[in-house]
Amino acid sequence: MLEGINNLEQCLKCNLCTLVCPMMEVNPDYPGPKKAGPDGERYRLKDPAFFDYALKYCLNCKRCEVACPSDVHIGDMIQTARILYGSQAKRKGLRGLRDWTLASTDLVGSLASPLAPIVNGTLKLKPVKAIMDSVIAVDKHRTFPKYSAQKFVSWFRRQDQSSFSKSVTYFHGCYVNYNYPAQGKAFVKVMNAAGYGVHLLEKEKCCGVALMSNGFADKARKQGAVNLASMRKAVAAGEPVLTTSSTCTFTMRDEYPDVLGLPNSDVRESLMLSTKWIYEKVSSGELKLKFRKDFKKNVIYHTACHMQKMGWQVYSIALLSMIPGLELTVLDQNCCGIAGTFGFKKENYPFSQQIGSKLFDDIKKSATPDSVVSTDCETCKWQIEMSTGMKVLNPIEIIAEALDC
Amino acid sequence: MRFDAVIIGGGYAGCTVAGILSDAGLKVCVVSEGLSLAVSGSKTPYAAQAALQKHGVTVLRGDRAMGAKVQDGRVLGVETRNLGSGTILEADFFILATGKFFSRGLLSDKEHIWEPVFGADVEYSSDRTTWYDEDFSAPQPFMDFGVKTDASARVLVDGKALENLYAAGDIVAKGCKEANVTKLIEDYARRDK
Repeated sequence: MLEGINNLEQCLKCNLCTLVCPMMEVNPDYPGPKKAGPDGERYRLKDPAFFDYALKYCLNCKRCEVACPSDVHIGDMIQTARILYGSQAKRKGLRGLRDWTLASTDLVGSLASPLAPIVNGTLKLKPVKAIMDSVIAVDKHRTFPKYSAQKFVSWFRRQDQSSFSKSVTYFHGCYVNYNYPAQGKAFVKVMNAAGYGVHLLEKEKCCGVALMSNGFADKARKQGAVNLASMRKAVAAGEPVLTTSSTCTFTMRDEYPDVLGLPNSDVRESLMLSTKWIYEKVSSGELKLKFRKDFKKNVIYHTACHMQKMGWQVYSIALLSMIPGLELTVLDQNCCGIAGTFGFKKENYPFSQQIGSKLFDDIKKSATPDSVVSTDCETCKWQIEMSTGMKVLNPIEIIAEALDC
Repeated sequence: MRFDAVIIGGGYAGCTVAGILSDAGLKVCVVSEGLSLAVSGSKTPYAAQAALQKHGVTVLRGDRAMGAKVQDGRVLGVETRNLGSGTILEADFFILATGKFFSRGLLSDKEHIWEPVFGADVEYSSDRTTWYDEDFSAPQPFMDFGVKTDASARVLVDGKALENLYAAGDIVAKGCKEANVTKLIEDYARRDK
């Protein structure tokens, strides 16, 4: 266990974490954050045999840690216990293959992208879904994010960024690269309009969040080391490393040191969501965004759990509020239930949808026929699009659309 | 990030002050630890959050004030754990409503008790044996400890009141409770109108 993380003695047993745990509400088999975290840790320190396999139900949403008045690293404790003692729980056979496939975002993305039309078409077919459901236990109700025929990096290589005197570095993430380059293109558009060129990291790997939650922590650690090495070069060159995904950002800022044991204090402050960076530049007067006068949009903002953990929703909300003609509704913070690859698994699908139902209801209540949902997390986006039928956009896409340029 | 007033602490004192000030049309920010506001009940905190949001109050949940920029007897801004040094919360005035020990308004070791955000003067006895009564159910003297204020509820640092920092609620030392913060704030809000 990592130094400083294991502060179980700070737990006062107040149960505020239990109250906010979304899994606790729907699944009686999950012992809850207090029992799974600090309580269970006492036993596990005595004998790892006390490891409870029900810890697999933890979504790692970190709502427990935000709620804790004593700063107990409840979520980190559970994650670390799963890594240290849960290796035997790694699934074997076809479900093991499924977990590995879901976790290997870079590899699967590289294979699927060139065959995007075929892969997308096939994954939509009912018989294919039924086979995936019964053979590898990927739930048939799930809609897969579409693969893009052109990767973001392939598009980016043809963009001339040499004419700018100032630059930022962009960590695009797997979803932007293999599935949804539009989000990355929006980021480049906003940065260029603001007078900044964009660079990519020398080497970018998946942040590793899916690997960690599927039992491949060693691989996540290796990929994390690659990302950090590239970030150090960018930061040494005086550039911030900006992102458009709250979970990738949270993973690289906090899970790298706290769960994977990768020190990152030298780059952590330079690594942030683009909305935070843009907001700070706009308020210091260093950057001006000019918006269209004819822009109209109704936007419902959903705060992703990892966004709440970082406490940065205030930036995305403030930037969206600056756009004239944009009507903004901010929802109560609730978990959408998908938790990355968790909700794709057949055994988890019902929990996932039950957890998200509060959020889906809130969205439906606030929605007008022309409204869109906005969130900084891509897996929340898949879940909301599938469960409500609403279109979901990253704030950077809305900003790009509203820009007058 | 600029506001008219920044309130540190989202408990009863902080929420009440936020309600009065936002009602008077001021742009208010509340920094509150925890996933919900720190008022009791499983639903009340969310109702309070919704009410404040309706009044246009920015609530920074799950965040903590880490330190303050003070110059010439005035607080210029407060830095929080989540927003970091890039976003300082600036305001005309600040209200310290972080409560006592459990909510970390006051921190202590075996000899000292201190207020962590502004380093405010804390009223407590230097003799530790007088901090508590051995009779568990007797009134405990340490519950009377708190930050010192002047007669207008302005917080003292090194014996001098900061011009624009007020204390409200539990964090105020028992000996300094004569100032009626609510009334002061109501007066201020009315004057501003």
